[in-house]
Formats: sequence, C-alpha cells, structure tokens
Amino acid sequence: MNQWEVFVNDVKELAEDTELELTIRTLNPGIHKYTYKRVRAQVSADLKKHADQLQVRLGRGQLSQGRFSIKVLGEVQRMPAKYL
Amino acid sequence: MAAPRSNREFVEACIKSGDAVRIKQEVDWENEAGAIVRRACELAAPAPFMEKIKDYPGFSYFGAPLSTYRRMAISMGMDPASSLPEIGREYVKRTNGEVVPPVLVDRKDAPCKENILKGADVDLCRLPVPLVHDGDGGRYVGTWHAVVTKHPVRGDVNWGMYRQMMFDSRTMSGAVFPFSDLGKALNDYYLPRGESCPFATAIGLSPLAAMAACAPSPIPEPELTGMLAGEPVRLVKCETNDLEVPADAEIILEGEICPDYKVEEGPFGEYTGYRTSPRDFRVTFRVNCITYRNNATMTISNMGVPQDEGQLLRSFSLGLELEKLLKSQGIPVTGVYMHPRSTHHMMIVGVKPTYSGVAQQIGQLAFGSKLGPWFHMVMVVDDQTDIYNWDEVYHAFCTRCHPANGIHIYKNSPGTPLYPFATPHERKFSIGSKVVFDCLWPTDWDKINDVPTLVSFKHVYPQDIQDKVLANWTAYGYPPVK
Repeated sequence: MNQWEVFVNDVKELAEDTELELTIRTLNPGIHKYTYKRVRAQVSADLKKHADQLQVRLGRGQLSQGRFSIKVLGEVQRMPAKYL
Repeated sequence: MAAPRSNREFVEACIKSGDAVRIKQEVDWENEAGAIVRRACELAAPAPFMEKIKDYPGFSYFGAPLSTYRRMAISMGMDPASSLPEIGREYVKRTNGEVVPPVLVDRKDAPCKENILKGADVDLCRLPVPLVHDGDGGRYVGTWHAVVTKHPVRGDVNWGMYRQMMFDSRTMSGAVFPFSDLGKALNDYYLPRGESCPFATAIGLSPLAAMAACAPSPIPEPELTGMLAGEPVRLVKCETNDLEVPADAEIILEGEICPDYKVEEGPFGEYTGYRTSPRDFRVTFRVNCITYRNNATMTISNMGVPQDEGQLLRSFSLGLELEKLLKSQGIPVTGVYMHPRSTHHMMIVGVKPTYSGVAQQIGQLAFGSKLGPWFHMVMVVDDQTDIYNWDEVYHAFCTRCHPANGIHIYKNSPGTPLYPFATPHERKFSIGSKVVFDCLWPTDWDKINDVPTLVSFKHVYPQDIQDKVLANWTAYGYPPVK
C-alpha cells in the first residue's frame, strides 16, 4: 500500500469514481518522501475501495479531515520534451 | 578578527563565542530540524549545528545563521557585542568603499567540487533537503542560499535568495516575483524567446555572501561580498554552464530555468510570520548537476514569527540601502531603521525637519524606488527621536501624527503576494498600498507658541539639576542604572 497526499483548495475538487488528473506527493518513508508526480487517478471516500491511501491538505497547508483511497492509473508527463 | 570566509569558518566562530551549539544526537530532516531552528529563532538562542541527520550520514545542518545581531557582527568580523548602530555604520562604510572584484580559482582549489553528480546520478533526494514546517508544500532546498544567474544581454551577475522547493528528484519550483531582477529577465528575455535560463544555486555560503544575496544593493553581489569581507570572494566555473559560483560553498545545484513551464509551489511559512501566498504554479528549475563538499552542511533559515534572518537581515540591509538612497537625493535624514518585528514592513526615518512636506517626499522616494514593493509603511520622526528606541518612536507616532493631516495613503502601487493583509486579488497581481505617517511638527507652526514642549527628564530640567539627580541616584536609594 502506498500513501499519497494532495493539496486542494476545496475537498469537493476530489470527485469520486471519475478519472482525475492530480499532483500528488508520496508519503512513503525514505529519502524520496514528499516528492511529487502528476497522475491520472480515481479516488473514493471508501477507504477500502482502492489499495492506496490519499491524505488531503488545503490551501495553506491545513490537514483536512477527509481521507480517501486512491488508484493511480498512470503518470502524466507535463514537462515539455525539450527539458527532459 | 577577520570575517569568516566560508560557512565552516562561520560555524566555528559562532561555536567559539557561544553563539552556536553542536547537536550530536540524530535529528530528523522531517520537521524536527525545522522545529529546532524555529524555536532557536523565537528564543534568540544560539544557532543549531546539527551533526547527524536521519537518512543522511555525512551531512549536517546549520540553522538560523544570522537571526541575531551578535551573529551578524561575527559574520562581519566584529565584536559580537557590537551594537546595531555600530554594525550599521560598518556596513555603510564598507559598502561605500572601493569595489572588490571576485577572483576565479581553478576547480582543483574549489572545495565545492569534491563530489560531482551528473546524468542519472542527479537526485535532489541525495541531499538532506528538510521539511522545514509541517504542512509546507514541500521540502525546501533553498531557504538560505543564492540563485546565481547572468543577464543575457547586459551580462551582469545576480545572486538572489529566491526560495526553492523540491518538486521531484530533478525539479525545483520557486517564488520569483515579477518585479525582481530575475523575474524581469525571465519575462523580458527568456519567455518571449522560449529559451531556458542557466542558473546555479549555491547553498552553505559564507555569511557575507548570503548577506549580499539578501541585500537590495545596486552593487553586484560578488563585488558586494568582497567589499563586506575586505577581500575578494573566490569563484569557480560551473560544470555544465558558464556561471561562476562561490568556490567555498557547501552545495551547488546547476541547471536551467524553464520559463514556459511552471509547476506547483508552496505554501510555505514566510518571513511575515504566516503562510500567506497560495499554492500556485511558479518558476521551474531543472537540475542537471549537483556538486558538494565532503561532509557538506546544508543551511536552513526557518521563516516565521520574529525573529529570523528573513526579518533581521532584510530589515538591516533594506533600511541602510534606503538611507543611502535618501541621502543621495539630499534629504536631511539622520537615520533609517526597520525594526525586525515589523517584518521589514515599516521604515522609520529620522530627519531634520527643515522644510514642509519632507515626510511625503521621503515616502514617495522610498516607495518609488526598486525597493518599494518590500514595505508599505514609512514613519517619519524628527532628529530628536531615537529611531532605534521603539518606545520613543511609538510615543511620537501616537502624539504627533495628525489623524487627518499626517497620514498619507497611496493606492495601487507595487506590492508582494506575501502581504498578509492583502486581498486575494492584490496577492495574485502583486498590488500594494502604501502609507506615510508624518510624525513631524508642521514647519509653519510657531516654534515658541504652537509646538508643544516634550516633558521628559532630559528635556524639561536644567543641566545642573539633571547632573545632580544622576550623581545622587544611588544615594537616594535606587539601584544603579545600566
């Protein structure tokens, strides 16, 4: 199970059971903790629906009470090829 | 005592004087190191030198490097007990002296080249990048550092302290405001051309190089560092671009700024004492090479409520540079001071009130300068008021500033998104508002009949009575006054 975190202005941005594009950071222990990736994902308020867990922070870093399970469908490469 | 030429010399000098402590037990890079630095700032305690970091053997942290005037004095090679006005006079003397150009050294003489990571080995997570505050948008690589760039046309070098968050193993994002030197270069040159901008980030600088990177001086930072130190700063060529970086720095990151591609940055605890600016898409730094010293020390500034170096050093250098500006325009100022607790938002100016309108003239010059976006209050007092004594300044403000005639407001001026009081719209577009508090007696008042007399020990009693009372003070039964 992986632990992820996302920043949103409003928890309503996390529409359930639809494909979302999110910038999430890993909370897994180790030196790469807090690094980000852009992903396509589905989330659910049912914590058992998906294998990974998602924690939510709001605009100024406040930890939200809302918890989700998340399924990462794939990575999204936003960076222009010339910089890769 | 010579000014420390490197962060290492500075750490040793601070430990020797009791202005830093060695922390030998393991410290976690996740929140714990930041919490230690924050508490040290709030207590004005010695700077923490953390020798053992979880997950990162061989690295260390040095926090709160210049968050006290004592450490600022040490950084300038002065007696730690030097007063603020003494440190200020020394800063002005050195920065008004001969320009001291940097020297370029061979890479074999540059400690920052002791370890070099390129290609697939580049991973910012190999450095002990701290999570400074719980809830920050990321781990911040750059909190006390210099981002080195060179203007593509003019060729002038800029060292700026633009905060940098680790986004992923090779990418950082940072807050670069449009009115900053780097912001102007990106918007005026690189963005229209779709070209990337070479950069280098130097971490673990000598304290005077960091001071120069933070100072809003028109003198290029490498020269300014040399002037402050009294000897040239040693620079060395980067591995992957033409920039030159301090050879004695602890860690160097080389790469390119991607002007047409932005990623999320923030929120981050800021010098105002709040997390104000929203998480947003900000400037992207792509890292191509990392070089670092053996047993490298990462420097941490933990911005928050006063006082940390964000307030103390910026207040110091911003105030003195504004004093130079006003004097260059012939304004009869007797001193300029920004109290660190104002988070460098209020400029207190002492002036000989020889003509009317001088307070507004000061405000307009200061707000209209390149430094203007960084503060929004100017309080002007007369030369009899001690600008360093907040009790006197506050008394002058509350008693001499006419609520209808003495407060002058300027709207729609440049500001920063970091102002906690600014509306969301103002933050988004860097819009500010300014105010001048004129605490001078009007020059058209009759000095005998209209200007009130200050009732204080030193103003209302004859000198012989003052001398007698002072001489007999302990005889009256009072303890001596220090």
